[in-house]
Amino acid sequence: MDRSRPIVEMTNIIKTFGSTRALRGVNFTVMPGEIHALLGRNGAGKSTLVSALSGFTPADEGAIRIGATALVANGQSYAADIRGDIAHVQQTPRLFDQLTVAENLFIENPVVRNRWGGVSHALMIEKATTLLRDWKIDIRPTALAGQLDAGTRQLLEIMKALNRGVPVMILDEPTAALSNAEKRILFDHVRALKAQGVSFVYISHHLDEVFEVADTVTILRDGQVVTARAEVASLDVETIANLMMGKATLRSVREDHSDAAAPLLLQAREVRLKPGSKPISLDVRRGEIIALAGPVGSGKEDLAMILAGHKKPASGQITGPGGKLPTIGLVPTDRHASGYVGILGVRENVAVGGLGLLSNGLGFINRRKEAEHVGTLARLTNVIAASLEQPVGQLSGGNQQKVVFARSLCQSPQVIVALSPTRGVDVGAKEQLYALLRDLARKGLGVVVVSDEEDEISQLANRVVIVFEEAIVDELVGDYSMKDLILRMEGVA
Amino acid sequence: MMADRQVMAKDGGPSKLSSFGSALVANGFTMYPVLLLLVIVGALVAPRFLSTINLINILEQVSVLGLTTIGLTFVVLIGRLDLSLEGIVGFAPMLAAVMLVPASAGGFGFELPGWMGLIVALGAAGLIGFFNGFMVVKVGLNPFISTLGLLVLLRGGVLIISNGRSIYSPGRALTYLGSERVLGVPLSVIVFLIVALIVGLVFQYHRYGRALYAVGGNEEAARAAGINVDRVIWSAFVFAGLLAGLAGVLMTGRLDSAVTTQGEGIIFSAFAAAVIGGVSLGGGKGNIIGVISGVLLIGVINNLLTLAQVPSFYVQASTGAVIIVAAVLTTLASRRSSGMKTRT
Repeated sequence: MDRSRPIVEMTNIIKTFGSTRALRGVNFTVMPGEIHALLGRNGAGKSTLVSALSGFTPADEGAIRIGATALVANGQSYAADIRGDIAHVQQTPRLFDQLTVAENLFIENPVVRNRWGGVSHALMIEKATTLLRDWKIDIRPTALAGQLDAGTRQLLEIMKALNRGVPVMILDEPTAALSNAEKRILFDHVRALKAQGVSFVYISHHLDEVFEVADTVTILRDGQVVTARAEVASLDVETIANLMMGKATLRSVREDHSDAAAPLLLQAREVRLKPGSKPISLDVRRGEIIALAGPVGSGKEDLAMILAGHKKPASGQITGPGGKLPTIGLVPTDRHASGYVGILGVRENVAVGGLGLLSNGLGFINRRKEAEHVGTLARLTNVIAASLEQPVGQLSGGNQQKVVFARSLCQSPQVIVALSPTRGVDVGAKEQLYALLRDLARKGLGVVVVSDEEDEISQLANRVVIVFEEAIVDELVGDYSMKDLILRMEGVA
Repeated sequence: MMADRQVMAKDGGPSKLSSFGSALVANGFTMYPVLLLLVIVGALVAPRFLSTINLINILEQVSVLGLTTIGLTFVVLIGRLDLSLEGIVGFAPMLAAVMLVPASAGGFGFELPGWMGLIVALGAAGLIGFFNGFMVVKVGLNPFISTLGLLVLLRGGVLIISNGRSIYSPGRALTYLGSERVLGVPLSVIVFLIVALIVGLVFQYHRYGRALYAVGGNEEAARAAGINVDRVIWSAFVFAGLLAGLAGVLMTGRLDSAVTTQGEGIIFSAFAAAVIGGVSLGGGKGNIIGVISGVLLIGVINNLLTLAQVPSFYVQASTGAVIIVAAVLTTLASRRSSGMKTRT
């Protein structure tokens, strides 16, 4: 193999999602036997770029060459053409829960087929056993994948990909669910494969990992490369944070309506997310916006669902003033899965959040009150629809999310808990939702937001609670800077 | 704020005619033109069809199917199904009958007072529904298999408690609803219409109805909105059971006997009527106006085929064919009007 010629060359890659330009002409190269870290804040385009590379979400424009395979992207799927050249390990494992470990590891893999093309079970078990021993994972190859813990599942997904013997591997946040010991095993294997000439594209939110394992760094910001192929040794944390952050592009700024003396609305006391995890105590006061931040799998979503009363903690309790829980509105994390009812209209979707408030003693709904209340909420949240009867499934993502907000406000809550409040929402709707949340805090609601986006947090939160491994590890209050926030969210400071 | 922009008509929106059509479909009126067509054809083919006696006859025949279908609609709206309703139609009145009649007439010998008949029948039906809800909500069984098992069990149960013999004249109190006439109109028709009216109002205007549609449309969203999803699912099975029990009582009244084969095959017609009436088997969609159209359509077709003296083998086969055609029509209509794919 020619070691001086790049094994991956991506030229002028463009990818657009609706009105969002996720990649704006990105060039990216990987040398053989190189571990190339791709850095950037959430939404910078890292995952989009590697998905374009593997063909998981095809690029709209640009040229891609991996090894001897070259192609020009036009938005059509090309994943099958490059399957032999590249493997992509995604953030969340995609395993078949009802199949065994061995079956998962060797699915669609010709090495376990016998000469008539049938799958040899004995051969598969044998190979799986060797592989598991090699990775020091103590599980039976006949165990079902669904029974394994998150870390083992993540390792299996990586093993499955490494197994295919491809020259280029993409690891997208591979360590999010791994323990430190599992991390060590992974890094050992990555280095061993690197010595054999395999190249890696490595995405991580932990800069310390990048310094430990990567050779080269490329930094993305707003869908463009800001630093291409820098030697890891030439960079330090400070420089990387500055490059990732860039010039402040804030469109609106946070407001502070919090007051340490404001009455308490909701209180978590000695709450454990899992049996044996550290106890968490957290107060929510009138007029403050609290952001729960932290890496994927840190437990921040669980904490929010517990605060909202939609999940039971392992131990500890949630109370309100005088032992009475306040009314809490919930904006769930995935609006398609649990946010709205697509076949029902805006009116029915919103009203379902406050049926008690809108119905009379017999439970019949007061139609006039309903129309007024839903109309008011739809105006407050800026829902734009042909009519209040239009099925929510037909609305744009931003408007769907506004409907979910309107629903969560239907019961006139004192606290609102919003998970990923602007995921998959365009910039305009985002700003409207931020304005709404600030407005609610000004009116004296307590607001709890769970977010992965630094911009969002810094535009909203008066208090940032960093959650890591089911515990609160840090807190930013008042006039914190963007840099403070980024460093803490990357787990460096 | 942007008060006036909240409701914005789209430029070049749908024409008046097509939006009228969409409204018809959305409100459950899809099948009424077809029904009208059938009535006209019927009047031409069989002059007796439009006679008052025949029309009332049709209504009386469909009231049992109608109540069963309304019961079924509760569970289908939440995206579940209940096959055991057919078993309840036979079992509930039979249980009441054996509790009422003396041992010499095939009863248990309890000879409960007549007014207890209705309570026993509906109580048993409600309990069976409660059991179905328990199996689905608490045990976590798929309702298809749990209610299928129960259907077979109840079929056998009817034979056990009746010793395999139908019970004739189980008592005035039990047969009253199904046999009495008020001003020439069978009481069973009035019962069906009253139930349809109440359930229709509950579906549209009661918080419970809203909860049913929300759970059927997106269970997780309903949960996030603060609805007690388990309770809604559970109660839907109870209501379904109660209505099937009532349907069984009407049937026993009309026949003046609790027959061992009572209700056999009715669940298929009920599913057909619900789907023809625009109830989505995926849940969250459908209303009583549509359900009534489905029930009437099946009733009218059966009646017409009989009047036209079509041999009974052909009646069955053609009913099946009509069901398929009607289901296709309903699905196409709802897809065209809403632009969304729904599982029928």
